[in-house]
Amino acid sequence: MTIDKGNSAIEFRLDPDSGVPTYLQLVQQVEHALRLGYLKPGDQLPKVRDVVAALTINPNTVLKAYRELEHKGLAAGRPGQGTFIQATLEQVTLPELAGLRRTLLGWLSSAEAAGLDEDGIVALFTSGLRDFFKTSTSKGSGSVADRAGAAGVAGRARAAENGAEGVA
Amino acid sequence: MNVIETNELGKRYGKTWALRDCALALPAGHLAALVGPNGAGKSTLMNMMVGLTVPTEGTATVLGGRPAGSPAALDGVAFVAQDAPVYRNLSSADMLHLTANLNHRFDPSFAKARLADLGIPLKKKAGKLSGGQQAQLALTLALARKPQLLILDEPLASLDPIARQDFLSAVLTAMADDGVSVLLSSHQVAELERVADYLIVLSRAQLQVAGEVDDLLAGHRVLTGPAAEAEEYATRLTVVQARRGGTQAHLLARTSGAADPVPPGWESHPVSLEELVMAYLRSPGVSEPTALARLRRATPTEATR
Amino acid sequence: MSMLTLPAQPGQDTAPRPLPWRRMAWVTWRQQRATLISVPAVLAAVAVFLVIFGLKVHHDYAALVKCSLVGSVQNESNACQQLFSHFNSTDWPLGNTCAILMALAPVLIGAFAGAPLLARELETGTYRYAWTQGLGRERQAIAKLALVGVTLAVVAGAFGELFAWFFQPFLYTEQMNVLTDGVFSNRGLVFPAFTLLAFAIGAFLGMLLRRIIPAMAATLGLYLVVRLVAWGVRKYYPVAVVTSNAKIFGEFGTPRLPGYPWILSTWVTGPGGQPVSQPVAIQVENQTAMAPGASVPPGYTEWTRWIPLSHYWPMQFIEAGWLLVLSVALFAATVSLVRRRAA
Repeated sequence: MTIDKGNSAIEFRLDPDSGVPTYLQLVQQVEHALRLGYLKPGDQLPKVRDVVAALTINPNTVLKAYRELEHKGLAAGRPGQGTFIQATLEQVTLPELAGLRRTLLGWLSSAEAAGLDEDGIVALFTSGLRDFFKTSTSKGSGSVADRAGAAGVAGRARAAENGAEGVA
Repeated sequence: MNVIETNELGKRYGKTWALRDCALALPAGHLAALVGPNGAGKSTLMNMMVGLTVPTEGTATVLGGRPAGSPAALDGVAFVAQDAPVYRNLSSADMLHLTANLNHRFDPSFAKARLADLGIPLKKKAGKLSGGQQAQLALTLALARKPQLLILDEPLASLDPIARQDFLSAVLTAMADDGVSVLLSSHQVAELERVADYLIVLSRAQLQVAGEVDDLLAGHRVLTGPAAEAEEYATRLTVVQARRGGTQAHLLARTSGAADPVPPGWESHPVSLEELVMAYLRSPGVSEPTALARLRRATPTEATR
Repeated sequence: MSMLTLPAQPGQDTAPRPLPWRRMAWVTWRQQRATLISVPAVLAAVAVFLVIFGLKVHHDYAALVKCSLVGSVQNESNACQQLFSHFNSTDWPLGNTCAILMALAPVLIGAFAGAPLLARELETGTYRYAWTQGLGRERQAIAKLALVGVTLAVVAGAFGELFAWFFQPFLYTEQMNVLTDGVFSNRGLVFPAFTLLAFAIGAFLGMLLRRIIPAMAATLGLYLVVRLVAWGVRKYYPVAVVTSNAKIFGEFGTPRLPGYPWILSTWVTGPGGQPVSQPVAIQVENQTAMAPGASVPPGYTEWTRWIPLSHYWPMQFIEAGWLLVLSVALFAATVSLVRRRAA
C-alpha cells in the first residue's frame, strides 16, 4: 500500500527476523517499488529522519541504503532537499508476476509430492538461488541468499517472499 | 574527529581494577553500544568520560581532544546517568529552567514541545512521574542542551518495551536531526542490534573488542565443518570461539574475506551481532583491537586543552 | 564512515565563557528554596514571639525601675517586692531559656542549612546530573555557599540585634554585662559570625562525610568546641587596659553600659614600682576592699588589668573577625573537596 507521508510515495517496513541486513531491506523495497511502478523518476524517497522515527533504526543505516541506491544509479541526493529517484528498473508487470507465482506454486506442489517438507524445500531453493546468482550475469548480488544462510529456517522462506513483496 | 579517545585508561578502587588498559577511538556520527556484563566497567568508563571519576592511569578526551570533565568538555557532552536522576521535588518546568540556567546552550521550545508530545505534564513534580517518564524527562533535558555527544548509562534497564522504543526513537531522531554522536551502554546486546553501528565490548574490566558493526560482522564468520579437522584449522585462523559436537564443529573466527578462503568441506556463515558479542564475552583474552583502535585513531588529533 | 554532518556550532573550540551569576542565583534559589524560606520563616515566627514577650519584659522592668529596686536606693515596699519576685519568677526563667536557645541557634541554623547543602546531592545521586552540566561543580558550590551564607548571616544579624533589645533589662536585673559570654555571643557581629561559621562547618562536613545526619551531629560537636575556644581566648584580645584602682571604680554601674567591667587580673606594686610579695599584696587589697574609696598606703599602687565595657565593639570586631576567617577557610576547603572528590 502506498501511504502519503509528506512528500514521499513509499513507506518502509522492516522484517527483523529475515536475516537480511536492514539497509539491504530498504534497498530491496525501493527496487521493488520501482519494478511495480509505485516509484517513478523524480519521486522523493522518505527523509532519513522520518525513516528513523518510524522504524527506530540507525540513521547511518538509512544513509547506507540511499548510498547503495546512488551507487546503483537508481537515486541521487539533492543537497538540502533529500534523495530522489533518477532511473527506473525493468518493470515486471502484475500479470507477469501473477504468472510467475502460479508457476512457483506448481513447483511447490511437485516438491511436496516428492516428499520434501518445508525445511527441505527452503534448503533446496536457497542453494539453487545462491548458485544461480553466483554464476549468472543477472542483476542479483547473491548476498540475499548468502545472508539468508545464517538466519533461521523460517526466515529463509520470508527472505524469498520479501523479494517479491517488499512493498505490501 | 573522535568524539571519544582514551589511552591506556584505567581505574582502580583499592586493590581492584574496575577498568584497565582501555584504548578507544570512537569517531563522530555513530551510535556506539557499550556492552558487557554487570561489573565489567561500563559505568566506570562512562563516569570517567564525563568527569565524575578521575582515572587512576591513562587519559580520556572527548570531542577532539578536550580533557574529559573540563569545562569545554562538559559544555558539549550531555550525560544521563543510570536511573535518570532528577530532583524529585522540582517540577518538569523547574527542571527545564534549572538546566537552561546551568548551560550555555539550551533550547527551551524544543524541550517543551517534546514533553508535550510525550504527555509529560510540566507542573507535576518529577518524583511523581513514572520511570519511563523520568527517563524521557532526563533525555529531553540532555537533548535540549544540543550536545555533540550524548552518553547514556543503561537507560533502558528499567523501561517497559514501549518506553524503550520511544526512548531509542528519540535518540535516533536526534542523531538524524542534529548529528549527535551517542554512547549507550546496556548489558543486553539484542535490543541494540538495530540501532547501534559501533560496538564496544567490555568484560572483566578489559576492552574485548571495539569497532564499527559492519566491519566487525564482515570480519568474522562461523565456519562449520568436521570436528576432526577443527583442531588443524583452529591453529591457522584466529578463532574467537569454538564449539564442537561429536562430528561437527563450529569455529567463530576472524577472517579477512577473500584472503582466507573457506576450507573444502567446510561451510561459512555470517555472524550476528549477538553471536559475536557472546563469543567475545565467553572467551576473554582474545582481545583484538587495542592495537586496531590505535590504528583507527583519527589523524591529526587536535591540540589538547 | 558516517555521512552525518555535524551542524556548525560557533565557538566550540574555545573554552566557554563563564555563566552570569544571576543565573546561578536562580539555580541556588530553586534548589535551596526550602532552606531559604524555612529558616527566615522560623526566625520570623520566633521574632514575633520575642517582640511580644520583650515588650512585656520591658514593661515589667520599667515598673521595677520606678520602684527604684535597681540602683543604689532600695525601696522596701511590699508592692515593689512583689513586682521584683514576679519578674524573677516569670520573666527571668523564660528569658534565660531564650538565652540558652539563642546560644544554640547558630548551630541549629547552620547545621540545618549547611549539612544538606552539598551532601544531599551526594546522598540522592543528583550530583550525577548537577556535576555534568555546563556550569561546573565548583561554580555551583561557590554560588550556593555564598548566596545561602550571606542570607543566613544577614538574617542572623538582624535577629541578634532583636534579641539584644529583648534581653537588655536582664542585664540590669541579673548583674550581667555585655561582655558576659552568654550575652556577648548572642548579639552584634558575633552572633551572625557564629551562624556563618556553623553553616561553613555543616557544609564542609556534609561534603566530607557525604551523609547529612552524621554531618549534622559532627557540626554540633565542632561548634561546641569553637564556642569553648572563643570563651577561652576572649580574655586575650588586645583590648585590655591596665589602670590603677582609682580609675576602675568610675566604670561601675553606668546607665549606658550596665554591669561591671571585666576584670582580668589585679596586682600590687610597692614603692619604686616593684611587685610586692603575696602577703603584702593581700594586706593592701584587704585594706582597700574594706573601705571603698579609701586611699592606698603611700608608695603602694593596686593595678588592675581589665576590659572596659566601652571596648565592647572592638571585642566584637576581633571575635567576628577570626570567626569569619575560619568560615572562609572552611568554604575554601569545601570547594576544594568538591573539585577533587570523585564519584
